Amino acid sequence: MNTADTSVTVDRVAFFTALAAEMNGHPERYEPLGDVDVEIALVIREGGDALRVRLLFQGIRCEHAAEIGDGDEFTADCFLDGDVGAWQAMVDNIRANGRAEGEYTLNSLTLVGDRIAIKGEDPLGVDRFFRFNQTLQTFFDGAALLPATS
Amino acid sequence: MVTMQPAYDGLPATDLVGQPLDWAWLRGARSEWGVRPKPGPRGLTMMDIAVGSYGDVAEHPAHRSMAPRGADVDPGTPDMGYILNAKSDVWADNVRELYEEAVARQWSATRDIPWGELPDLGDDLEHAICQLCTTLSEVEMIAADLPAKWMWRMNHDFLEAKMFLCTQIMDEARHTEVFRKRALANGGGLLKSRAGDESLLRTILQAKTYVQASALMHLLGEGFILDIFRQGELIAPSEVEKRMFRMAMQDEARHVAYGTLHLRYAIEHDADTAEEIHEALDHGEEVLVAFGTNQDLSTAIAVLLAGGVEHVEDKGFPMQAEMTRKLLASYLARCERAGLSRLSRTKLDLDLLGIDRDTGVIRS
Repeated sequence: MNTADTSVTVDRVAFFTALAAEMNGHPERYEPLGDVDVEIALVIREGGDALRVRLLFQGIRCEHAAEIGDGDEFTADCFLDGDVGAWQAMVDNIRANGRAEGEYTLNSLTLVGDRIAIKGEDPLGVDRFFRFNQTLQTFFDGAALLPATS
Repeated sequence: MVTMQPAYDGLPATDLVGQPLDWAWLRGARSEWGVRPKPGPRGLTMMDIAVGSYGDVAEHPAHRSMAPRGADVDPGTPDMGYILNAKSDVWADNVRELYEEAVARQWSATRDIPWGELPDLGDDLEHAICQLCTTLSEVEMIAADLPAKWMWRMNHDFLEAKMFLCTQIMDEARHTEVFRKRALANGGGLLKSRAGDESLLRTILQAKTYVQASALMHLLGEGFILDIFRQGELIAPSEVEKRMFRMAMQDEARHVAYGTLHLRYAIEHDADTAEEIHEALDHGEEVLVAFGTNQDLSTAIAVLLAGGVEHVEDKGFPMQAEMTRKLLASYLARCERAGLSRLSRTKLDLDLLGIDRDTGVIRS
């Protein structure tokens, strides 16, 4: 188990491109989980500002991780919207435990309270978050493996 | 596309014992000879081979046999007794994609759950997880029994829908397996099963039509269970249950996705179907509420949400109420997506639940 390391911060696109590289570099972790088809946007709010990132998953790869503009999250299958503190707490938990535990899993964070909400224009798009949940969780658990400078 | 093929002259007219031979399959059966689907990066999918006439699914197929759709079917092929002969009876526009997804994302309850990480739990938590698993083990197989009841009545031209339902049956077998295994794995075991639980199952199984059955099972029942799995993942005492509920959640969400677009397809092609579905859901919602609030399931979940019996009242029950609101809001949104607004029709007490009756959104 690692000690908590907050030097990996969630409020930069570089964090997500590093996660994508981590996924794409380890197909052996994703192959047993099966192929994925989902485009998810993340909204990470801090004060009046927000970082918006789009993640495109195809097969067993994250093909795209890039910043998007205000409102573009609605064009994704679904989006996760939360305060930077909630996002950072998730990453800190992952880095402390090697994977998200307890209420810090993606599903749990979107189920209790308003820390991170799962949203989308189409209920079927939102349901993709559930259809591919283990792969998405494994993707975020990759934060435990990133160097502290990510 | 019918293409001319070589005549293959000179082939024998009888076999070695004098039986006449028919070389029609070689000499120009009506087919799309020469059509060559191209595999994609993942291999050759059902979407890839839905090309030319092979991809066309008739609204009302000409045959009622098990002949493969697109084959040169003998006019004398017998009627297999199918009763679901309209595409709108079973089809969903996402069914090929869902089949491929289901096949790609199969998992093993034996191998893919980290059973070795199961920790000793407090007696109350172990009882609660065992009760939850007992109930889930009881209800999961309904989603296998029901498609099995109807599949042999579905016209074989809708083979992709039947293939997807086969994956659902396998999924539900695995769910029954994994929850039974968890109930037994930590020294707890199977706990209470009550007569009331069977009412929901009987309502689903005895639906008069497949579209009603699908509404009750895919949209209402599996939508409900999907959210129970989400709650299970949240309250999981260890990575064993986390993984178990997450994997089951993925399967369940596929079934819900099929049901949502199947009902939409059915309603778009026959508006009268909507009332048939509404009637089923009027009764189904009533039975589901009785099931969801049964004393075993609801209190077991509340204890798990509270982290034990000590805080069941001040933490467990309030959290459960919040999740029930989210569960019903998700269900109502899926109904809208299916083209079936329940907001003005449902007998669910939306005001009490804090759900806006005009929008279906949870009031803040």
